[in-house]
Amino acid sequence: MMDPTLTTIDFRHYAHWIVLLPMIGFLLELFIGKYTWRKGGLFANLSIFGSMVISFGCLYNVYVQHLGFWEYSWDWFYPGLVAGFTVDPLSLAMLCMVSFVSFFIHFYAIGYMAHDPAKNVYFAETALFTGSMFGLVLANNLLQLFIFWEMVGVCSYLLIGFWWHKPEAAAAGKKAWMSCAVGDCLFLLGIAMMYTIMVKQGITTEIISFNNIFQNLEHLSHETIFGMSALTIICVLFMCGVLGKSAGFPLHVWIPDAMEGPTTVSALIHAATMVTAGVYLIARAFPIFLAAPHALAVVAFLGAFTALYASTLGLVVNDLKRIFAYSTISQLGYMIAVLGCGAVLGVASVAYALFHLVAHAFFKALLFLSSGSVLHGINNIRDIKEMGGLLKGMPWTGYAMLFGALALVAFPFTAGYYSKDRIIEEAYLYATAHHPGELGYLPWIFLVLGVILTATYTFRAWYLAMTGEPRSHPAVHPHECGFWMKTTLVVLSFFAIFLGIITGGGKAFWHFLEETFVEETHTAGGIVYHGLDLHEIAELGGNHLLEHGVVHHIPAAVIYLPLLLMIAGLGIATSVYYRNRVDVSRYVSKDNPLYQILWNKYYLDYLFKDILAEKIIMTVFTFWDVLDRYVIDGVVNLLSWITIRAGDVSRKVQTGVVQNYAAAVIFGVSLLMILVIMIRGGM
Amino acid sequence: MGPITMILLVLLIGAIITLLTNSTAQARGVAILSSFLALGISIWMYMTYELDPVTHYAFEEAGTWMPSIGIGYHVGVDGISLPMVMLSTIVCALCAIYAWSEGKRPNQFFALLLLMDLTLIGVFVSLDFFMFYVFWELTLLPMFFLIGIWGGPRKDYSAIKFLIYTHIASVLMMLGIFALYYFHGASTGVYTFDIPTLVEAYRTGALPITRFWLDFIFLTIMFGFMVKMPSVPFHTWLPDAHVEAPTIGSIILAGVLLKMGGYGLFRVLLPMLSTASTYFIYIIALFGLVSILYSPFAALAQKDIKKLVAFSSIGHMGFISLGVAASVLAGMEPARVVAHTGAMFQMFSHGIITCVLFGCCGVIEHHTHTRIIDDLGGLTKKMPKFAILMVAGFFASLGLPLCSGFVAEFGILSGSYHTMPIFVILAAISIPFTAGYHLWAVQRTLWGPFNEYLGDISEIKWYEFASLAVWVVIFVVLGVYPEPVIGMMQDTAHYFLTSGDILPIGGIIP
Repeated sequence: MMDPTLTTIDFRHYAHWIVLLPMIGFLLELFIGKYTWRKGGLFANLSIFGSMVISFGCLYNVYVQHLGFWEYSWDWFYPGLVAGFTVDPLSLAMLCMVSFVSFFIHFYAIGYMAHDPAKNVYFAETALFTGSMFGLVLANNLLQLFIFWEMVGVCSYLLIGFWWHKPEAAAAGKKAWMSCAVGDCLFLLGIAMMYTIMVKQGITTEIISFNNIFQNLEHLSHETIFGMSALTIICVLFMCGVLGKSAGFPLHVWIPDAMEGPTTVSALIHAATMVTAGVYLIARAFPIFLAAPHALAVVAFLGAFTALYASTLGLVVNDLKRIFAYSTISQLGYMIAVLGCGAVLGVASVAYALFHLVAHAFFKALLFLSSGSVLHGINNIRDIKEMGGLLKGMPWTGYAMLFGALALVAFPFTAGYYSKDRIIEEAYLYATAHHPGELGYLPWIFLVLGVILTATYTFRAWYLAMTGEPRSHPAVHPHECGFWMKTTLVVLSFFAIFLGIITGGGKAFWHFLEETFVEETHTAGGIVYHGLDLHEIAELGGNHLLEHGVVHHIPAAVIYLPLLLMIAGLGIATSVYYRNRVDVSRYVSKDNPLYQILWNKYYLDYLFKDILAEKIIMTVFTFWDVLDRYVIDGVVNLLSWITIRAGDVSRKVQTGVVQNYAAAVIFGVSLLMILVIMIRGGM
Repeated sequence: MGPITMILLVLLIGAIITLLTNSTAQARGVAILSSFLALGISIWMYMTYELDPVTHYAFEEAGTWMPSIGIGYHVGVDGISLPMVMLSTIVCALCAIYAWSEGKRPNQFFALLLLMDLTLIGVFVSLDFFMFYVFWELTLLPMFFLIGIWGGPRKDYSAIKFLIYTHIASVLMMLGIFALYYFHGASTGVYTFDIPTLVEAYRTGALPITRFWLDFIFLTIMFGFMVKMPSVPFHTWLPDAHVEAPTIGSIILAGVLLKMGGYGLFRVLLPMLSTASTYFIYIIALFGLVSILYSPFAALAQKDIKKLVAFSSIGHMGFISLGVAASVLAGMEPARVVAHTGAMFQMFSHGIITCVLFGCCGVIEHHTHTRIIDDLGGLTKKMPKFAILMVAGFFASLGLPLCSGFVAEFGILSGSYHTMPIFVILAAISIPFTAGYHLWAVQRTLWGPFNEYLGDISEIKWYEFASLAVWVVIFVVLGVYPEPVIGMMQDTAHYFLTSGDILPIGGIIP
């Protein structure tokens, strides 16, 4: 009966082990990791590898064997709330990407963290980080998603502050948490609202499971909160959570500071885990956003604005890692923007966003890991002004970073070319289709402008770091990284360059992802969630989707515009930072107000930290303390003073509090007894 | 003899024997033995717990005590009180280990610990108002000896404050209980202190008394509970008492003693709410909300880490009031059950989590001889094991998922939203601030460069580590899998909210 080949295993039933294995890895690493191979790292690597095997097994089941989408759940916490796991193209794309990239980052960290005394703690935390991300991705309901969402947050806090003895690292961790906490409390509120309106429909099982919500969208769209569409409010609250986690404007302020952590952590945060969670949330809840009037417009505009905003900031930063950090914020903006365009494109926008997410994960991990290698090679110098000419000393690292940079700027035939240019085309379609006013063009304009800036700042960093003459002592003799790190750079370079070509220019990926929501899902409980008619759902939110399969005419100028702008940006960077044709020091000075604004990050940090946190909130706290101590407590002290003065009590109190209290207790009890006996006696 | 009486006797005998010992080793040996025996009995109760279908209590024991005036020995547990009994025994048993090396008057110290446990359990199991009140008052005695003998420099001031506060509250509560007793006796001719009988009479409106007296009874009893919880603005005794109390005193005070107020809310006030004036629900909800919003602001202004932790308790207890108020308002039944269960679970969960917080404050104080946050810093360098426990405790307290506090707060917020949306929105706004002061405390205490002025401090002691670690394990396990505790709470909540025991009251709070 049993066919012993691997192809007969239905991995979909073991999806929960994808989450559990890294959790076990976390415990083993924390408690006994110190006493094992290389003092830590073994269990984390093995467990993530195990998760990767199951993830790809699930992909094989669904993509090759066509076993269908699968979901199973158990009761958790309260009636109707579950722990559930869903295997569909959306979660599979994320799972495979997260496990693959995360595994190689762990692999790299064996070399990178080799000399850290608390290595086992580091690996324990990254295993938990990755495991939480798996839990988030596999969640079939909002509660579980939120739980792992927060777990991802706490791991990022711990990892950003991993070198806890540095005050700035500890502060950066706190900043990350606080920025996310602002969004998360609103996200939680959105979940409470969703729970309430679902219960109102008389639903008692799987109350906030995604598929169940999707099935009831028609009823839910009639619900109102404070006179507005409940779904819109909920989606906006979700979006606040996304802005925190996916570093959207204005809650992105934690990202640059988060560079205080080890570089492998930055790679994890920016590529595989954490920041992609927000994008994933919108993708996962996409039908809800589609059914909510105006929700996707908010998403599109905020995403596109973030994309442009962050790329202006990337132009002036000198910290190598921070440049890439701003590029992450910007690229996430692209993903969020195209999800917003789903108001016109339907589920295709989820596919485009996810493809860019996956491509971005590869090239961003590559960029961070190669900059980690640079840091490793030149004594942890991060300022590109102090680098220069590193390509000669560390060719593997230098070329790896070049491949990552090419993919980031969407150089033809790299992964980013297929993913990003498609997003920009779709934004144009969004502008022309149903938003004929000028405003509808704004996302597209933002995204297009972002392209030229991205090319400029990316190659500014690369040229300044890798070419020219060394500008500091350590940069003269950099040392190339070792086996673990080199292997990782090679693997990631391959995917950063060829991912687009492997997937047939992204088409295979998009077709697979477009089945999400539209195909039916089977559950272990025997329920079948039928595929959704997204056109109908879109009408609930006043959105009109384009007909599927109809070819829409996009002018050639629009199609080639991003390419031209990228070449222009590349040209600017080359002429300024490689050939030194233009002297930028004239503009880069304190006298230039524009430069000042960019250098101070539009004063947003100043607004949040110096004004909001330190001036306003601290004043409130001080006031509060005064209120507590002098007003509320003052009344109490006054009362006690009166009591003490009123009678003979003061003398007794001073003789001994404890005896007095005993007397008072006995007095109270006796009083009760006397009253009782009096009543009974009187009867 | 039922298991409840057995627990009480074990602790009483244990306390007497402990008092007679004359060394730390003997005292703690007896104390650990008897507190673990009590814990064992409570675990046995948990394993064999089955509700009586008629009275809806388990392990009920009813006997006469002073029949002439209607005082009986009536004890029993249900889904509200059994978790509280377990909480008391767990906390007390671990405290006995935590206090391993207590050298000052060890026999008295450990005896008071056992007495503390005895009186607290007495409050939770009493089904007779007289017993309830006697135990309620008696809890203060051991606590006061603990503060008075082992306390800090300003113990006199705190003690006077505590006396005035809790005593006025208790006496008022006593008047309410007495009025209830009297009116019931006068109208039916049966004078009894039996809690189920009196509460039932009040709830069904069987008492032929005016609205004034109905509200008088409710208000006085509520005042007693609110001060004990404590709810803002009756909270100012708490930070002072904590600051002066020894670590064990603080752990029991925050972990179990405050729960007496919450317990009273469920046991006595909740059923009475349907007959008392409707605005009492608003008052309870408002008290809860104000406490939730008040505590993070007050906590952020504190310089003493123990006081900061004390303020965190106030906010967490506020969630209980909020959940209770939401669960009696008319609304969708599943949501009400969730709010009610969440509030009950919050009592248990906070009881466990706060032990870790105060335990950590104690460790900091014992090892560095200071509690001022600005004087600390970089403790991870010297105490890495301690850092793990403290991070776990503080994160659980700020509501991190997969720790029990999140389960409770999620239930309260989700379950209450339908009936009091604005209140829930405001309560949710407190979350980032709550996160803020916890992170701030952790950052200033554990991270950053080590403050060399602290000298050569030693790593956490094994007995401190062991007891704190068990608490951490409990709240993590319950955060991942709350069913063992939440299951029985749910049954009771369901029974209370649907069997007609509590009539849902109309009206939605904005």
